Amino acid sequence: MALFLQRLVDGLSEGSIYALLALGLVIIYRGTGHLNFAQGEMALFSTYAVYQFGEWGVPIGLAVLMGMAVGFVLGAGTEVVLVRPISRKSPFAVFIVTIGLFQFLNWLDGALWGGQQLPSSAMGSKQGKFPSLFPNNPTDYFNVFGAAIKWQSFWMLVLVLVIGGGLYVMFNYTKLGLAMRAVASNSESSKLVGIRTGTVLMVSWGIAAAVGALGGVVYAGLTTNVNQSLMFSVFIYAAAAATLGGFDSPGGAVVGGLAIGVIQNLVAGYADEWVGQQMKVGVAFLVILAVLLLRPAGLFGTSKVERV
Amino acid sequence: MTLLSARGLTAGYGPLKVLEGIDLDVNEGEIVVMLGANGAGKTTTMRAISGVIARHGEITFGGHNIQKVGPDAIVRAGIVQVPQGRGTFPELSVEDNMRAGAYVRRDGSGAVQADIAKWFELFPRLAERRTQRAGSLSGGEQQMLAIARALMSRPRLLLCDEPSMGLAPLITQELFQIIERLNRDEGLSVLLVEQNANLAMHMASRVYLLETGRIVASGTAAEIGADDTIRKAYLGF
Repeated sequence: MALFLQRLVDGLSEGSIYALLALGLVIIYRGTGHLNFAQGEMALFSTYAVYQFGEWGVPIGLAVLMGMAVGFVLGAGTEVVLVRPISRKSPFAVFIVTIGLFQFLNWLDGALWGGQQLPSSAMGSKQGKFPSLFPNNPTDYFNVFGAAIKWQSFWMLVLVLVIGGGLYVMFNYTKLGLAMRAVASNSESSKLVGIRTGTVLMVSWGIAAAVGALGGVVYAGLTTNVNQSLMFSVFIYAAAAATLGGFDSPGGAVVGGLAIGVIQNLVAGYADEWVGQQMKVGVAFLVILAVLLLRPAGLFGTSKVERV
Repeated sequence: MTLLSARGLTAGYGPLKVLEGIDLDVNEGEIVVMLGANGAGKTTTMRAISGVIARHGEITFGGHNIQKVGPDAIVRAGIVQVPQGRGTFPELSVEDNMRAGAYVRRDGSGAVQADIAKWFELFPRLAERRTQRAGSLSGGEQQMLAIARALMSRPRLLLCDEPSMGLAPLITQELFQIIERLNRDEGLSVLLVEQNANLAMHMASRVYLLETGRIVASGTAAEIGADDTIRKAYLGF
């Protein structure tokens, strides 16, 4: 029981990172119908920025907010400079552009911060490990039914629920959210009711990248370092989470992310001998496949309904 | 008094020029009907006035030049378009569609809510379906919703792009009665384009005939109806 609980909470906390990235994917997909392949690398760039702010002595709380601001500017700028002009010509080209951006940002991280793990004493880092938003010393845990739950895991879960809840409120109860839903539903009609669709999409990309940045920073805090390949697998899981939850459902992204984290951890924990560490990925995808066979739009996705 | 005035209005899509320079007026309190066949440029005229496509020429609204302003400023100025084929937000609830229609307003959610209640009285079937997704409504209901949504911006001029398209004659009749009532009771000016003109002619103050991007005839409904060639070509009797 104690072991199960521990694996469950570990899975939830890992899943919360996938959920944050997946939320970003969903926000962009809802607004524009594009899968942003560069979502993980945008988050990684912001994560490097947070490391840099830390080197300059900025306290972690403030550094994270600044990192999210960097993410917002990066996302909004991408929409204005790359996505908008290209989607006018061909929607499919946007996907290719985000793949190009994926490679460019990864190269840029390497050019600015080098290919090794950071912080690194060889590179003269002042920080001993990547700053964590939440207490992550070996003694920072509490006991529930005999299971030792890390405070870090607990707070990560709280964080994703707060962000997910905040986005839910924004989408459903604010004017910006109404505009975002309207643009996603019918762009031409949005213009006709006076919504500046360009601004809405720019802000959507900005919010998506800022939320993703938060995911990157938290993940780097968990692994205690940042490196160029940090977000590769996270992005894959985030895309899987969004698919599982339904690509147009923020709530689905959260549930999908948490579910994938939990499945992975339970499978790795209980079926290690016959599934093996390397294959736990495959098990998560089998579950997704099964869900999509029954519900093609994902757990919480809406299938399109229209009468004419 | 002239509300909307266009002089030498041209517009098109990329290299394709659809409007070849049209002159058009809508006076305060009028219902102006524009007739034309498929491809004549009716929808392009609407989209050019709404500012969702690039356009040239002189357009003034209430005496102000609106040629250079974007679609959001045009809605704020008081022109709103009911697009062809309803153009509702299918994934949004009926009420959210109405709220989106009030997007440009700055007078608070209380006033918006009061307007929603007011238009639900005019369109009781929408009130019954207020929490339903717009995409699940019938064609007639969606057209009602498109008009109600447009009214939410408190317009002075309503542009209606073929509201009768795909609707049963009885529903079309009901729709036109509502438009007439809005014109009479709310003082709303209307520019309406139609392909099938019989019903529209009855309520028109004035009529324009559009043919391949040019206005080929204009006059009062009586004048246009009295012209044999025009009547045969556009009214079919």
